[in-house]
Amino acid sequence: MSAVKVAGPVPRARELILNGIFAENPVFRLALSLCPAVAVTNTVMNGVLLGVAVLSVQVLSSVTVALTRRWIHPRVRIPVYTIIIAVWVSAIDMTLQAFTPALYAQVGLYVKLIVAFAIIISRLEVFASRQPLVPTFFDGLGMGLGFLIALVTIGAFRELLGSGSFAGIPLAPGKPLLFFALPAGGFFSIGLLMAFFNWVERRRTRGATAEPARAAAGGGHGA
Amino acid sequence: MSLNVIQPRPKLTGREIVRIVLSMTGACLIGAAVLGLVYLGTDRYRRAAGEAAERQAIRDMLGLDAAARVTEVRQFLARGARRVVYRAAAFGDGAGRAHEVAFTLDGALAGDRDLSTAAPVPKDLAPLGRFFVATRSGGTRAQRGSGPLAGFVVEGRAQGYKSPVRFFVAMTPDFGIADMRVIETADDPGLGAEVAQDWFREQYVGRTAEEIANLSVTKDPMPEDWKAALVALAKRAPDALARHRALLERERAKPIYAVTGATISSRAVTEGVRATVDHVRRRWWLLAPRLEGQL
Repeated sequence: MSAVKVAGPVPRARELILNGIFAENPVFRLALSLCPAVAVTNTVMNGVLLGVAVLSVQVLSSVTVALTRRWIHPRVRIPVYTIIIAVWVSAIDMTLQAFTPALYAQVGLYVKLIVAFAIIISRLEVFASRQPLVPTFFDGLGMGLGFLIALVTIGAFRELLGSGSFAGIPLAPGKPLLFFALPAGGFFSIGLLMAFFNWVERRRTRGATAEPARAAAGGGHGA
Repeated sequence: MSLNVIQPRPKLTGREIVRIVLSMTGACLIGAAVLGLVYLGTDRYRRAAGEAAERQAIRDMLGLDAAARVTEVRQFLARGARRVVYRAAAFGDGAGRAHEVAFTLDGALAGDRDLSTAAPVPKDLAPLGRFFVATRSGGTRAQRGSGPLAGFVVEGRAQGYKSPVRFFVAMTPDFGIADMRVIETADDPGLGAEVAQDWFREQYVGRTAEEIANLSVTKDPMPEDWKAALVALAKRAPDALARHRALLERERAKPIYAVTGATISSRAVTEGVRATVDHVRRRWWLLAPRLEGQL
């Protein structure tokens, strides 16, 4: 972890994307940004909308940091990263408001919250600030996709059990287990899905030593 | 994290501090410039989208077609001169003709003139609110003929339990309630915020101006059949009024049923609707003859 600045071979795009979805899934593996993950995922649609917004902000911020890090003073890098994220979030916020007002009415509140998402700033710090542009792009894409997939999975799980529907289409009569649509149910859902993702990850990496890839990707988050 | 291990921090000299300040200032300036550009690029579309949404809401609430004309009347208070000033212009028309009418506080006409909609609002005019007057399509604007009046939409405010409640009231030409919608409330979900629900707000719809003026609120529980009927009526199906005729006759004479556990919010909204209707009704008699050509 101490030598990440010279990370040997540059990791490939496919590895980076899979890394974001499985090995370092922001929600299920790194346990970052759980608060919004619980708050907005009582339906599939909410999960999709916030997931897409996070994906765009993550990719744009990562690329910006990779391009401009030469001029960012290391002592104030975190405040500068925050400014970069805030600028992108505000730009996306204004664009959504102008061109898709109906969508904005639903997601406007969540979009502003993305400024404070731990996952985005942590990817800027551990990856975008020390890797070349192209891998940074794919790392952002992978992390964003991982977050999107996590939110949609949790949303689908909770909506199916809590409201008996999928993306608003009713599948079962009544509300099978309303508990899962409530906030407390959100934590249980994430716990169950986290266990499932751990199991998938263990099977995926059985035999193979996934460690070099992880180190190249910036290492763990000290979790 | 590990950055510190690789590059030992240089001592914080004066030169270093200047570099840090420059780095932060540069980042802030670039960020501000980017946001400014995005704002300039999107602001026009944001306004247009907001206006289109308001126009659509006005049409929906009054049941109008796309050909109906909407005039926006903005109300100001001139503190120094102790006058109330109304400016009327076709809604969303940024370059047309507006009409300004001023009254003294006791209702006497104090001014009446045409001006451009682009004319700036003088600093001593404090905005009081605005309302919309809709006329059915009859004659073109060039002929200066006003179509028959279709109704009013007014934004009203009331102080709820914890937060202000903002709502739109749509009125027929004789100031009966055509529709009512709560657009903003930050009261508690399940309690005060319930005033935005169809079954509550629909209670006002269909009452005449006289009924609204004497409206009271009861804490009695709302009968289940009436609640179901209100939800159905709020959908504005063409045959809904006929289907629920008996219930409407029974319930229209009764007070507004308060939301259980939110009597204060319910009373506030009822009082807000009453005040809003009363205000427009009194002002319109003064204003209408002056705005003939503008509508």
